[in-house]
Amino acid sequence: MKTALPEDIAEFATVATKRLARFGGPQAALRAETEEQLRLEARAAVADLGAFDLDVRSSSDDLLAAAVLCQAAGAAALPYPLVEELLAIDGARLALVNPDAPRIEHGDLAGDWIAADLDGTRYHVQPTSRTSAKLGPFLVPATLGQPDGTVPAADVDLHLTLGSWRILGAVQQSLDITRQHVVARMQFGKPLAEFQAVRFTIADASVAARGLYELAKYTISRTESAPAQVRSADALILRLKAADTARQVFRTAHQLLGALGFCDESDVSVLDRHTQSLIRLPLSAEELALRLTAGVRGGQLETLFSDPVSA
Amino acid sequence: MTMDYDLGTDAGELRQRLRELISTHIPEGFLGACTDDPRDLATTESFCKLLASDGLLALAWPKEHGGGGGSVWQQTVLREEMWAHHEPRGAQYMGINWVGPAVMRYGTAEQKAKHLSAIAAGEVIWCQGFSEPEAGTDLASLRTRAVADGDGWRITGQMVWTSYAQLASWCVLAACTDPNAPKPKRLSLFLVPMDRAGITVRPIRSMLGPHHLNEVFLDDVEVSPDDVLGEVGDGWRVMREALAFERVGIARYARCESLLTRMQTALGDDWDKLPESIRTRWVRALIDLRVARLLAYRAVSLQDDPSAGAAASAARIATTTCDQQVAELLFDVLGPEALDSGSSAPLHGAIEDHWRYAQAATVASGTIEVQRMLVARETLGDHG
Repeated sequence: MKTALPEDIAEFATVATKRLARFGGPQAALRAETEEQLRLEARAAVADLGAFDLDVRSSSDDLLAAAVLCQAAGAAALPYPLVEELLAIDGARLALVNPDAPRIEHGDLAGDWIAADLDGTRYHVQPTSRTSAKLGPFLVPATLGQPDGTVPAADVDLHLTLGSWRILGAVQQSLDITRQHVVARMQFGKPLAEFQAVRFTIADASVAARGLYELAKYTISRTESAPAQVRSADALILRLKAADTARQVFRTAHQLLGALGFCDESDVSVLDRHTQSLIRLPLSAEELALRLTAGVRGGQLETLFSDPVSA
Repeated sequence: MTMDYDLGTDAGELRQRLRELISTHIPEGFLGACTDDPRDLATTESFCKLLASDGLLALAWPKEHGGGGGSVWQQTVLREEMWAHHEPRGAQYMGINWVGPAVMRYGTAEQKAKHLSAIAAGEVIWCQGFSEPEAGTDLASLRTRAVADGDGWRITGQMVWTSYAQLASWCVLAACTDPNAPKPKRLSLFLVPMDRAGITVRPIRSMLGPHHLNEVFLDDVEVSPDDVLGEVGDGWRVMREALAFERVGIARYARCESLLTRMQTALGDDWDKLPESIRTRWVRALIDLRVARLLAYRAVSLQDDPSAGAAASAARIATTTCDQQVAELLFDVLGPEALDSGSSAPLHGAIEDHWRYAQAATVASGTIEVQRMLVARETLGDHG
């Protein structure tokens, strides 16, 4: 068993993090809400890192590189539909949507789009325009045409998985900001980090973030080897856990940063607002859990005691 | 080299072998050694000897000490399968998991000869005298005194919560040998036979069942330099390092996964009729258990790495809270029947048994508060 990232991937993650910090991190994402050009610069930043040379569908090394790139993008709240473009089909970005309320992140960017729901049903899609929402500010309501074939289930699974790595990055970054804050912030004559209630809250958030990281590594390590139904369950499991963890860690961050955490000059505010679209879409955590109930008796939610699911 | 979550062929084969042994030798409805039925204790005694004859009881130990020389992943599988099946090693795990390894590291040649092969053969039960009425988690504050007397000492004091004290033939006992020394240098550890004059055991009735909790009274108990484990005054360090041998802790996630699987099988098609809120809680429980298992694997993979930090504490927080989460879930699944115990109860009483033991999950072997302190210390530094 080897549970650590391979060295070359860990190095790539470091390079990606530095490059996206140079792009401007969450504060650049904030400016991108009003400055169109920044989204193109965000694309240039990930292109510099070789993002669009990665073959995420057939190379496990490339997929892992894409995962850590998405993690870095999540930490920077990168204002670009990276996952959607990594999984483009014939040059059209692939968006995962809820057909009952289709919204596409950055759907107003130039270029073609394909929409698919979690069942893999494919739709022609007509994005409209942005709504200046505070939560998910780059979301664009869209109109779907009639179902038009399917996209591979593997694409849906990769979409959920890589999106979860973006959430992971945002979670880890928020926790780190919170950690720095409680160490530096003095109240009642001592750092917040000396209050046991604060320490325990940070410990619980840290365990949650560590758990999500281990689950993310595990999930991506077996996208090739797991039977298709198990792989799909794995992807839903990761997305559900990512959404639950993000809600816990962002809540912790807001509570411990106090009013500062609500201000856009704090990266926590930007990370939280910009990650809400991934946390809530295409389905809520509760709806994801409901979808997974079918996999309990089917054995797709593997445990130490479940019978193997045939490929 | 990419990531790899395969425990290895030898670990997989061991899991199969253990399941076969359990299926053959452990009766259906077995809920551990410490029940009201004395036959359960006898089952564990014979099962331990069976494991020992196959080199599986002390799987982690070097072969020279009667162990199986197993890999860390085989040890992980052993922990998982034993706990999932209600710990058919009974009270033996304490001797195997840390008393033996501590004797290997700190014991004299005579102590090694006297104790290691007996532990590896499953012939002896150990208990640990670490907790006092006034000192639980704060081990360094123990008051039990070892007063110098000739070459040796006489120990007087009281231990409490001592598991298996009625069954044990030996005890690792912590006592204060120098109350004026700095705190880390006050304690010494003694290996004491439980039939030595001056030792009295009083069982404490509890929701956990017999044998789990006892008081041990020490009245002028005579110990000699030959009984000291490690150096005099070095007990705190020996204890901390010895307990690190089992820092990954009990594989509680394995029992939970087993119970959920057994409950699901028992429900059959009725599972689909459970309220939606219960079914989604079930999904979340399975996910949290997977996460707890992965955190445990991460901690195991780092166990020889000095930079491992609080990985084991994180794993323990995750798995102990899962224990309680699953206990409540299964009680809500069963409704009033959950309160029934005994062989006619659902899953032969395993769910009722699990709920009772789950209350201790975040207390026993290092409270969740201590684990949180360790995680916080790694994350935030030594503030506070």
